Amino acid sequence: MLGFIKKDLLMLKSNIKILAILLIIYVVMAFQDKMNLSFLLPFMSVMIMMSTFSYDAYNKWDAYAISLPDGRKNSVKAKYLSTIILIIITTIIITILSFVISYAKTNIIDFENIIATIFGSFFATILLQSFIYPAMYKFGPEKARIGLMTIIFGVAIIGGFITQYVDFSSIINILNFIKTYWMIVFFIAIVLMLYISYKISERVYYKKEI
Amino acid sequence: MENILEVKNLCKKYKEFELQNVNITLPKGTIMGFIGENGAGKTTTIKAILNIIRDYTGEIKIFGFDNKKEEKKIKENIGAVLDDMFFPEILTPNDINSIMKDIYKKWDSKLYFKYLDDFGLKKNKTIKTLSKGMRKKLEIATAISHHPKLLILDEPTAGLDPIARNEVIDIFQSFIQNEECSIFLSSHITTDLEHIADYITFINKGNIILSKNREELFEEYGIAKCTKEEFEKIDKKDFIKYKKSKYEYEILVENRKAFSKKYDVDTIDKITLEELMLLMIKGEK
Repeated sequence: MLGFIKKDLLMLKSNIKILAILLIIYVVMAFQDKMNLSFLLPFMSVMIMMSTFSYDAYNKWDAYAISLPDGRKNSVKAKYLSTIILIIITTIIITILSFVISYAKTNIIDFENIIATIFGSFFATILLQSFIYPAMYKFGPEKARIGLMTIIFGVAIIGGFITQYVDFSSIINILNFIKTYWMIVFFIAIVLMLYISYKISERVYYKKEI
Repeated sequence: MENILEVKNLCKKYKEFELQNVNITLPKGTIMGFIGENGAGKTTTIKAILNIIRDYTGEIKIFGFDNKKEEKKIKENIGAVLDDMFFPEILTPNDINSIMKDIYKKWDSKLYFKYLDDFGLKKNKTIKTLSKGMRKKLEIATAISHHPKLLILDEPTAGLDPIARNEVIDIFQSFIQNEECSIFLSSHITTDLEHIADYITFINKGNIILSKNREELFEEYGIAKCTKEEFEKIDKKDFIKYKKSKYEYEILVENRKAFSKKYDVDTIDKITLEELMLLMIKGEK
């Protein structure tokens, strides 16, 4: 298993520069109070990890992986785990930087706000991974990427439409509940989403004719 | 002799192609050359042996174990070079070493780097910067650096120049010095197989049409060349296929000696694998 995770992480070497540039942009923006970009790095981690699917497909890695011991079992698992590792690393970096920047600017650390923002971005990133990975395995990286763009665009349009015409009073109750227990709710949701997503991807991969 | 690989009644159906009752037996300590034209079923057979494709029927035993039930144990002892399937090209030979030592229990980094040196491969160059030949050498070095007992090679010499092909063939021959080891090797380059294969298995349109010991094959099979008049006197049962050229008939016969005793033809030559393939595929009956 470790070998397969290493393979996915080593493929990111050429993208380290992109992450470093994003990190600098984040720091500059944060100091200038322009925009909170704490979501950027974890989000880009998934996008960069998605590019490894294209390399895998181009070099027919999946077939080669199955010729290795436990290849079929570990390929999908390693892809999920290496993505989660990368998301966690980038989230930790962003969290530490946010604390440092907050302290440098105001001499106090706004724990509650920083943690809430970063948890939100972590949740959104895992949500993205959970949706897109099964599609990657089912339709291939090119079609899945087009699908992702369509979904984001569609959600934005539908979201805009709903906010104008739907009564939100019942949803606010749910949001209040989430607000009280948000850490637990988000944690359960993340684990559940990843588990379901992984199981779907695994099933697709096992059934796929390679 | 103990068999390292046994394939019995392997069938796999695609929309436009079908493997039909493929049977292969590879004894320990030998090399089998697997030949056939493009699309004949060589890669599909290899993928089934490695359990890469799904929904095939038949029985495949490697080292005496079922290839599905004992997959991990089997794959620890197999090295594979697959046609156009390998690590993503942004990785380097160094990365491959770092990955493989956590995949194979018996991965031998020292041996791997020795092969890289012998092949003149740089450790830190990405795969995409390598020429086709160098890439093939890297695939071969990767396949044999965990001391496998069986090498499964799909077109391992394709794209290599004659010198590199010789180097690679030398490696295969030294690999087979250990009598516990065997090689199952598909190739278009039939001259390579004429030199190293102990057995030749020929697949055409998803069917095994010939599987024979190389020495027997070259000793027994032949091409008789004759005129139209001579050809018309030959019983159809006494030849496998024939091909009409501008001035003569070329006839593929299964037993040169018996044929020359029965018929008075001027020339019966020993056969090459290329001629055998051509006549088997393009010849008429």
